[in-house]
Amino acid sequence: MLNLRDHEAELDRALGRLGQRSKFAEILAQGSQGVVVNVDTKSHRASALPRVAGAVMRAWAGDRWVEAAASGFDQPTLDRAVDSLERELAASTSNGSPPGESSTTVGSRIQRPARPMSEMSVEQIVDLAQDYFRWTSAVPGVKNAQSSVGWWDDERFYLNTAGARCHHVAHRVRGGVVAITFENGKSEFDYTAQGGLGGAELLDAFTEQQAQDVAHSALELLHAPAPPTGTMSVLLDNGTTGTFAHESFGHGTEADQFVRDRSYLKPRLGEQLGPEALTIWDDGSVPGGWGSVAFDDEGHPGEKTMLIDHGRFVGALHDRDSAAALGAKATGNTRRSDFLSRAYVRMTNICIEPGDMSMEELLEEAGNGVVLEHWTSGMEDPLGGQMQLKVQRGHRIENGKLGGVVTSMALSGSVLSFLKDIRGIGKLNHPMEIETGFCGKGHGDYLPTGDGGPYLLSRAVVGPA
Amino acid sequence: MSGSVATADTAFRVAEHLKRASAPWDVFGERITTHEIHFGPRGIELLRGPIVLEGYGLRLLRSRDGKIGVGYQASTDASVDGVASTLEAAESVSRYSAFPAKDVTLPTGTGTGAPRPEITDPAVWADAPRALANYTSALFAAFQNRPGIGLSFGSVKTRKTEVTMANSSGLSAGYGHTRVELEVAVKSSGGAEGAPPGEYWVTAFDRRLDATPLPRLADDWSRYASDARRAKAPPGGEHAVVLPPSVLEAILPASLGYKLSGRAELREMAPAIGSTVGAPQVTLEDDGTLPWAFGSSPLDDEGTPQRRRTLIRNGVTTELLYDALHGSALNHASTGSAFRGGFASLSSGGSSFGSAPGPSCTTLTIPGGDGGSDEELIEAAGEGIWVQQLGWASPDGLTTMFGGEIRIGYRIRHGKLAEPVRGGTLGGLVLAGPNTPSLLANVAGIGSRATLTGHVSVPTLLVRPMTLGGDEVATSAA
Repeated sequence: MLNLRDHEAELDRALGRLGQRSKFAEILAQGSQGVVVNVDTKSHRASALPRVAGAVMRAWAGDRWVEAAASGFDQPTLDRAVDSLERELAASTSNGSPPGESSTTVGSRIQRPARPMSEMSVEQIVDLAQDYFRWTSAVPGVKNAQSSVGWWDDERFYLNTAGARCHHVAHRVRGGVVAITFENGKSEFDYTAQGGLGGAELLDAFTEQQAQDVAHSALELLHAPAPPTGTMSVLLDNGTTGTFAHESFGHGTEADQFVRDRSYLKPRLGEQLGPEALTIWDDGSVPGGWGSVAFDDEGHPGEKTMLIDHGRFVGALHDRDSAAALGAKATGNTRRSDFLSRAYVRMTNICIEPGDMSMEELLEEAGNGVVLEHWTSGMEDPLGGQMQLKVQRGHRIENGKLGGVVTSMALSGSVLSFLKDIRGIGKLNHPMEIETGFCGKGHGDYLPTGDGGPYLLSRAVVGPA
Repeated sequence: MSGSVATADTAFRVAEHLKRASAPWDVFGERITTHEIHFGPRGIELLRGPIVLEGYGLRLLRSRDGKIGVGYQASTDASVDGVASTLEAAESVSRYSAFPAKDVTLPTGTGTGAPRPEITDPAVWADAPRALANYTSALFAAFQNRPGIGLSFGSVKTRKTEVTMANSSGLSAGYGHTRVELEVAVKSSGGAEGAPPGEYWVTAFDRRLDATPLPRLADDWSRYASDARRAKAPPGGEHAVVLPPSVLEAILPASLGYKLSGRAELREMAPAIGSTVGAPQVTLEDDGTLPWAFGSSPLDDEGTPQRRRTLIRNGVTTELLYDALHGSALNHASTGSAFRGGFASLSSGGSSFGSAPGPSCTTLTIPGGDGGSDEELIEAAGEGIWVQQLGWASPDGLTTMFGGEIRIGYRIRHGKLAEPVRGGTLGGLVLAGPNTPSLLANVAGIGSRATLTGHVSVPTLLVRPMTLGGDEVATSAA
């Protein structure tokens, strides 16, 4: 832990200066540190993650926000940033008030994992990564394998001129393996990873069987045919359902895009978009969720926001600006990647609620089509409402039964059509598992976001990828 | 250019405190000053800057049992105590790393003999806020008086970076550079047709703020946004496909940067030198000295002078990319290809110091061919698809597979561009062995003029065939 509160006096002084020039100002101090160990066939590498810390300051200049940031907390460094903002504020000719309500939340949430990764020696983490590697590479035919175990602490201290003061530390841990196979110039791979907010206890569930399954999958893909292409029934596995919820649907619920008239979902608020059984929410307060936040970067506590309730589109995600513009309230979704990045409305953990269909029922309902498994990426289209999801593997569905394995593929089509065409939502036989992903807003500003869901049956365009 | 001289001394200050390091080391320092303007449909939303990030990455290369223990730690704390703590952390992790090289030869000197490509915009270097304000005004002006067209979202960012490098072999070098990022969402709406709004959302990377092409780009982007409103999903199946440089930029570097490097060779995943991986007319180079290219610099991130490397000549693999570490493991000299990526927790700082160097490409270039203009390539395609933009090409470095949704493209009918298309997925392998279809193997035409965009300088390519998952009920799924 970096103990950002050690710099509270310097940050208070900077905030005080800004408060004299602006109707509202805020400072976010942020720092991170961690260790990641990578092991592969030729080398093993322990890397200490960058120890980077600094502060970003935002002030209301009468008609717009102005920001400056610096990588340090010493008085001269902070003063230079304040000086530059004071010049911007002095140059402003507008005297308007800032939009929305300023947070007055005071709180501290220092997460305490059962077994903090920071208390593990590098040697212990190397041992763990080598176990993962050995489990994967021991499967005959696997030509290369990579394992990774890492942890990452993110400390944030937010304060503003309205009195908010929020200090929180998140400990994230993640472990996984990649199995690589190649033959006659063709390469394939498969992967698995798991993690969340917490400590080493989250990695206890990672088993030798999981690693071996990945290895066998990569071998299977070497000789698997390409998927069929065209419009067909598609059955998304849990992770791909979560990726759909995030990339295809969730980005359209970020209300900063509503304000810009840049969301295909804005005119649909209140409409029935999917079947009665469809419910989607975003929740920054999920205990241990990869994307959970104790407080967002405007000082609002993380909370649950219902987006689709029994098929009806009922809510959106807001920061103070969008909430003010649209008569809503901030939802705890204002996030910065780090102190160098601007704040945007972002998702935390977005999930689709499970339904009541078994796998057999879903396959029978599908008839013919494909199962999409092991997501690798997705891309949003907030205005156009098109979707793009890529998975590493899948299965054919033939006459209501699971068919052979097929190689990587991509899904495309209209999100609204996909939602309307949902005709099966699987049941979960275990608590919702939050996947560990990173999300960009457009083409940058990556931060950790979680997602999850059950198997989901609909119809879309399948193509090569 | 005087503006390209680094004035920060980050690495040199850190190096002063490394006298007691117990193993060979190198340190890479950066001071990055960013300014940004973010805007929406009603004008400027947010002014950011200066955003100042100063930090360094310290690498230790400890020989042990015939291998190298690599220890890397990056930090923003360059104080005496901060450097001591960073060194201790690097030493700690070096004890638990093992790379299959006996020793590493690090570059020396001051970089004075290195190439000096133009990579610094004097206006950005001298007064970034003014340059940014002027450029943004020109951008807004370019979209004025266009009925039904507007900017719904976007930003312009400038970064001035002062790089310094030092190592235990005596390297002491530095240079400066500027980078510019433009993200724009152009929206087409209204009108009598009643169609939903359309958008062309583009991100461009450059070394300088050049407003000259903005009126032409505004014409093009407005047309794509309008055409997206009436675009239909293309038919699936195998097609002749024409790919302009902007689409190749989204596919080639991320697909080939790993595969054609010593990192892949070490793991037996690179194509063998002398093996055929492309059509006979395909020559692919990696040029780190190209003027104004995003990937150009005098030195790589270990301090080795940049140069041009021929990776594929006439369809045959000729050279791979090496940094000092992988070069040592594979008995090959560094090709000046050591570069550093970003890191997840610091994604938008534009920094390199957070991660250790590894071999990668700079600017991939394909020389102009005999395919003529874009119009001549379209005519040669006869029937097919012109892909203007993929949503996200999803390039995969391990397999070289890519696949992305067509955000906007055009049918090619009777050798001419016809109606717009949108939707469907285009994908396939970029590079493969003999007898396996791939983008490079199926190149059927190479345009005459290469265009620099992002990390490529390539002409438009005609590829025949490529597979498209389109809007047709699949018969093969039954």
